[in-house]
Amino acid sequence: MSQAVMHNFTGRRAIVLHHADEPLRRISERCARLGVAAVPRRDTVGPACMEGIDMVILDIDTGHDAQLPWAAGQAPVPVVGLIGSESPGRLAWALGQQVDAFLPLSAIGTLFSALVIAHDRFAAREAQRAREAELAAQRSGRLDVIRAVLALMEGGRDEALALKQLRAFAMVERIPIEDAARRVLAQHPATRAGKR
Amino acid sequence: MRLRLGLIFSTSGSYAALGQSALAGALGAIEALAEAGQVEIEPVIRDPGGDVARYEAQAAELLQDGVRHILGAITSWSRKDMIPVLERGGGLLWYPCPYEGFECSDHVVYLGAAPNHHVVPATDWIVSQDLGRVYLVGSNYVWGWETLRLARERLQARGVEVVGERFVPLGSVAHAHVVDEIRALRPDCVIDSLIGPSNASFLNDLAAAIDAGARPRLVSFNQTEADLDALGPAADGLVSAGSFFEEEADPRLLRAARDRAPNGRVSAFLASAYAAVELFAAASTKAGGDDPRAVFAALSAGPLPTAMGPIHVDPVMRHAGLAPRLAQAGQGQFRIINRAASPVAADPYLTGDAVPPPPARAELRVVR
Repeated sequence: MSQAVMHNFTGRRAIVLHHADEPLRRISERCARLGVAAVPRRDTVGPACMEGIDMVILDIDTGHDAQLPWAAGQAPVPVVGLIGSESPGRLAWALGQQVDAFLPLSAIGTLFSALVIAHDRFAAREAQRAREAELAAQRSGRLDVIRAVLALMEGGRDEALALKQLRAFAMVERIPIEDAARRVLAQHPATRAGKR
Repeated sequence: MRLRLGLIFSTSGSYAALGQSALAGALGAIEALAEAGQVEIEPVIRDPGGDVARYEAQAAELLQDGVRHILGAITSWSRKDMIPVLERGGGLLWYPCPYEGFECSDHVVYLGAAPNHHVVPATDWIVSQDLGRVYLVGSNYVWGWETLRLARERLQARGVEVVGERFVPLGSVAHAHVVDEIRALRPDCVIDSLIGPSNASFLNDLAAAIDAGARPRLVSFNQTEADLDALGPAADGLVSAGSFFEEEADPRLLRAARDRAPNGRVSAFLASAYAAVELFAAASTKAGGDDPRAVFAALSAGPLPTAMGPIHVDPVMRHAGLAPRLAQAGQGQFRIINRAASPVAADPYLTGDAVPPPPARAELRVVR
């Protein structure tokens, strides 16, 4: 968790996805009391429906991937799963979707807790994704860093000094060392092409 | 119509004064209804003695005995302990006390003040009085934690400086360090969320440590007449937020207090418990029986008259709408200084609160 816990949802919008009237009504009412505007949906959620939506509350019993405008586990907003029948297959589907919080339909009085948990889990997942992307970028830049160090050694420096120079350059420019390496290589086209 | 109503209040133990006040209100209302020939209610009384562990067992015992409605609990701990039993037994708890909010059980009717009835108006008042430096002290359990958290966030968002925040174990009177700190920091205002003996002892020690002229303004979210006498002159000037004060009591409440309350006083606890019995009787009559679902449906269909005035319980959030008051203590009495013109719907999750969420913690990274 990288942020203070969010506990006020006033002014936010939630898609409530359920095929039956009664749960839609009860959850929409409860959302309204928490200051959340519910947008009821009975079948599918198209990409256009997600405009201005801050969270999705969906039925696990009848949920399926084609209903949702994102790849499994890639929801762009916090997702709360409504538990009805507790069948293992349905729970497995919800886990595959990486639903952020679960709410039994028999206990919708605790919707607030589900929203708090879902938003916090979602923030943690987003932070994790960002870290993974950063690591991937670092890995993919390793070869460029080696090439840039070799390029900087051309003036007769040893490798430690060349690396120090590259780091100083990255720090002054306030960019990752991999990006700095790419800039150095852009000024040494021959090296970039691997023609040493 | 004949009904049974469980009454679980600690009339002995550390916060007995509050339980005695609430029980007096409930029994007074039962007596008045019987005299009027409207509804006959058989009270089934239990005293957990302030022991949190006993509420659950006593509630289970009453439900097993066929009682489906319980009026009771003072602290949030005891309420939260009874909820699972009520869920299993299909019972309904009528909870008559102010509490910290953030709850909405399908087996509870919340008749006391919610945070938008106490913390919100009280902190707004602190800001309006230009009390720029505030010290927070509370009992170390959910009432203290949540009321002071909310007060801190609301005050800081309005530029009030919170100079200190301390928690004292429930029932403890070891707070010399808190009094010393207040004397050293000299805040303009002390918000006091202590309960029971901790509170009485703290206020008396504070009064002894600091001269009346230099004493910070005292603000409470739950001080009532139920245990005001125990505070003596130490409470003079204290401003309390609540849903009811004795000054506005009608003859029915005054009679219940005179006949049944050990201290003879009307408090918000007494008035809410009295109104709870009236609401239970009226809703059961409308529902034609004591089935908890049917009773709640009848209760929440519209406002019902009570000795506190008409009360409407929201059908979704299950809380009573109340007109918040601020009152100032002096010579053993509360004088109302501020009163909402009409009942305000309870907002237990503070969704109507415009205060922004707390700022995100600074994210620091090692730059290599």
